[in-house]
Formats: sequence, structure tokens, C-alpha cells
Amino acid sequence: MTTNGGIVTSPLAVRSATLKFGGVTALDDVSITVNDDELLAIIGPNGAGKTSLLNVTAGFYRPQKGRVELSGQDVTGLRVDQIARRGLARTFQGTHLFAGQTVVENIMIGRHMLMKSNVIQAFFQFGPVMREESEHREAAEEIIDFLEIEAIRNRPVGTLGYGLRKRVDLGRALAQEPSILLMDEPMAGMNSEEKEDLARFIFDVREARKIPVVLVEHDMGVVMDLADRIVVLDFGRVIAEGTPEEIQKNPAVIKAYLG
Amino acid sequence: MDPSGIFPTSYRADRRLVRTRWQAVCLALFLVVMLAMPYLVSGRIIAVLNMMLISAVIAVGLQICTGYAGQINLGQAAFMGVGAYTASILASKTGLTFLLTIPLAGFAAALFGFLFGLTATRIKGFYLALTTLAAQFIFHFAVLNLPSSWLGGSNGVTVPAAEIFGLRFVTETQQFYMNLAVAAIMIAGAFGIIRSRFGRAFIAVRDDDVAAGIMGINVAATKANAFLIGAFYAGVGGALWAYMIRFVGVDQFTLFHSIFFVAMIIVGGMGSIVGALVGVFVIRTIQEVIATVGPNIADSVSFLGGDIVFAGMNVILGGVIALFMILEPKGVMHRWNILKSSYRIWPFPY
Repeated sequence: MTTNGGIVTSPLAVRSATLKFGGVTALDDVSITVNDDELLAIIGPNGAGKTSLLNVTAGFYRPQKGRVELSGQDVTGLRVDQIARRGLARTFQGTHLFAGQTVVENIMIGRHMLMKSNVIQAFFQFGPVMREESEHREAAEEIIDFLEIEAIRNRPVGTLGYGLRKRVDLGRALAQEPSILLMDEPMAGMNSEEKEDLARFIFDVREARKIPVVLVEHDMGVVMDLADRIVVLDFGRVIAEGTPEEIQKNPAVIKAYLG
Repeated sequence: MDPSGIFPTSYRADRRLVRTRWQAVCLALFLVVMLAMPYLVSGRIIAVLNMMLISAVIAVGLQICTGYAGQINLGQAAFMGVGAYTASILASKTGLTFLLTIPLAGFAAALFGFLFGLTATRIKGFYLALTTLAAQFIFHFAVLNLPSSWLGGSNGVTVPAAEIFGLRFVTETQQFYMNLAVAAIMIAGAFGIIRSRFGRAFIAVRDDDVAAGIMGINVAATKANAFLIGAFYAGVGGALWAYMIRFVGVDQFTLFHSIFFVAMIIVGGMGSIVGALVGVFVIRTIQEVIATVGPNIADSVSFLGGDIVFAGMNVILGGVIALFMILEPKGVMHRWNILKSSYRIWPFPY
């Protein structure tokens, strides 16, 4: 938590968000607060509203009620790219990579919003543009180095295996230099070795960047090992919140999962 | 991918377009041959080359808008027309030098294109194709129905020759050098744009607009930008056209021409600047061959009659394009890339 003029602000706060699709209530008065430098896991049975919550946070959906705040700043109703520019990055369930582009190019697209050259400079390719390109390329190479994907940097992403693609997806999000990272089911569809790799990278990201990570995940083993704090959703409501040990013993959670 | 033994040692070197000495030699040779063209070939071929250079500028613009940013555009000829008319009116009424009228023609076309780019922010695919089609009809309607003292109406506008320091660009050879210079600048600029953050944003929007948004790319503005840049190129090409033909009329910029520009980038290969140039060369060459062969056939097979022969020639032209779509829908550049990579790994299959 950082204090801002006496008011305590957190990197990300969702305040009583309600989201309805016609008659279906996807989120019902959901509030979560993410603390500095923590890994918050959001879990829940299928259809509990986990991905909806991420989509509301990232600006894909606009909640009917409630607010989303990034570092105390109200971002409700802003466009996706405006929210991204305010420091929020997310990875997707499955991946949304640019399949025809190489790994380096994908990561460089992540740097787009940090670059400043205009069309006329780009047209003539003079001084500042070349320097800017080189600087951001260097930053992209640092991420490639960090994620240990040097050997595949010039391979088109479409030719890579699923585990590597997930890693590139993470790299692209990191390229945005976010102040908070959302990950939507990063472990889905991976084998245990790939899961271990990715879990290690999530640890490393927190170590290196000191940014909070919000993780939506089904794999309980991963969640219990990685998370500092867990929020449990069921039918669009928060039914429990606490440390992994508390959640494991929580009767409401056990009931939601086992019926 | 570089040939073996070539290793870039700086990030700047890694984004070079000309990567080997051999490529540099080829490029230099090509430019020298282009500069020497008027001394090597007849005036007839120079006229064809002029057409190709102008088409190249316009097709490269369309390649940026459609090939890179994925925004279907059936109004490129109308954007070209706006450029041509702007240059003509400015040159004939105010006597501005072509050094100013050509970029101004580009900006006028860019503004017109941007208006249609705004529709692209809300719709895509076939629906977008239809609204860009509207650009064609609005352009025709405006030119024919505005007072003829403004845009010449159906009579068209006569354009004075481009002139600098008392030198008038009247012969085909003189115009060839002017077209070559402008085309070289515009094509080099296109390479600059597509290798910059804008080119990457275009590709991102084309391939996955959801992911582009979360990358902090303003999808709507990027689409509108793509139209703006594509139309700027069309406007510059239109201005060159006006100075070459020295007369502009509304029927020089029809939907038919727009479709030929689309055919050029498809035949050459979507998403490649060089592909656009190859497409221009292929389509313009076929058109030229047909225009040359047609009258000869009409003469020698007189019982068919000229009308049937010329109609048949258009059928052949359309047939060649259709054949390209069937045999290599990804264009000549795709074929070339396959050839290059199989040559590189020879004798292994992969």
C-alpha cells in the first residue's frame, strides 16, 4: 500500500463491480483490492466469473455498477488501450500472439506504447527513430534473456510449441513495463514440466519487477504454492478471501467445490 | 534469415534492409539501370515505365492500408483522383510549383481517405469494403455535380507542365526522372514506416485486434492512420499522373482502376512492399502486352471484328489474375520466399 495525500491507494482495486449479460449476472457486487508486490490468486468453479472479473479490470467489459481503480485513479469506462497505458498488462487464456511475427517482433509490439516517434520521423528514418528502435530492441533482448528464449528469438511464433508460446506471451506483457500484471489461466493445457518452468518465471518476475500479479488459475497445486492471498468466486460473488491455508479450511469454499 | 556467415553486431545492423554486400551491389545496379533506362530502351517502353512507377506509389500505399493493416480498400483510385484533381487545380489556378502541389495533393487525398478510415474504426471486412466503395461514388458525384468552374465537371481539367528553374517536364524522359525520384522517396519511406512502431501496430491490428488493444495500441486510431497513409500515397501518385497526362478527367479514376490496384497487391503478395512492386510489374506488363497484341490480332483476324478481340483481351487479363488467385493466392513473394528457404537448406528437405 502506498499513501497518496493521506489516502491509502493500492495498485489495483475493483469496487463493488456488477456485470450482467442480459439476465445472467456474471459479477455481483465484487470487490477486490490488490496490495503492492503480492500475488493474488482468483479461483472458483467454472462459470464463477473469474475471467469476467479480469475483463472488467482490463476494460474489455464495462461494469453496470462499481468502479475499477489503478493506483487510486478511476479507470472505469476507459478503452482497453488507455488502461494498458496506465500500467496494466494481461496475458490470455490460450494465447493471443501475432502468429506470423517472430518472437522479437511480438515483444517489440509490446514496446509500442512506450515509443514516441511519429509517422514523419518513421518515413524518413532519421536519427531519433533509429536510436529509439535500438533502445527498445535492447529492452526486448533483456526480456528474451530473462525468459531464456534466446534460441528462438527469430522464429515465427506460430511454429512454437504451446509452452514456449505462453512464455512469449508473458514476455510481451512484460515488455509493456506494467505496474500490475494479470494472468488468465497461464497453466491451462501445459504439462507439469512446463508448469514448473512458468511458475519459476512468475516467481522471477515478482523478484525482478516488484509488481503485483493477479493470477486466475484452476490448478490448485500451483495456486496454493504461488499465491500470497486467494480470492474465491462462486456464481459471481466473492465467497472467501485469505491465505492459502485459510482457504483450504474454509467450509464455504469446500462446499462450492464439492457441492 | 541471413545467409550463413552474416552476423549483425548491433541492433541497428540487425534492422538493416540491405544485409549483404551482394544485396547492396544488386540494389546499386538496379538503380543505375533505372537511371540509364531512357538511353537503353525506346520511348514506348519509357511511357510504360512511367505508368509502372506511378502505379507503384499507389499500390505501395494500398499495401500499407490493406496488406499490412488489413483494412480492405476499394477506393484507392478515388483517393488517387482527389490527389490528381488537387494538384491540377493548384497548378492551373495558383501556379504553385510541383514541389508543393505533389505533397499537398497527398495531404488532400489523406484527408479524404481519413474520412473513410473513420468508418473502419467501427466496421470491418465486407462492410468496410462497401463503405470504401462509397468513396468512389462520392468522388464521381462531387466532380460531376459541383459547378464546372471548380473541378471542371465532365470536361476535366488541363494541367500545366511541372516546371522548376525554367526546366519544363514535358517529354516522357523528363517525366520518367521525376516519377523515378518521387517513387524512390515514397518507397523508401514505406519501408521506414513498416519497420517502425507504426508498421508493427498495423500488423498487430490486422492479426489480432484484441491483443493489439491490450498492448496499448489504439486500434481505432491505427486503422484510421492506415487509411490516411494509404490515401496519401494515392494522392501523390495521382499528382504524378496529372503531371504526366497533363489532363485529368473523372473517368480516369473508376472502381475498375481500384480493383486493379487490389489485384496488384494480391498478385505480388499481401503484406510485402516488394510484393506490391512485383504485382505492379506483372499486371502492368500483362496489360501492356495485351494492348500491343490486341490490334495486331484484330488486323490479322479481321472476320472477328475489333470489338470481339478487345473484349477477349480483357477476358484474358481477368483470366490471368484469376489463375494467379487459384495457383498462388499468397502472391509471387510467397513463392519467392519458399524458393529462397528451400535453396538455403538444400540438400535437406527441412
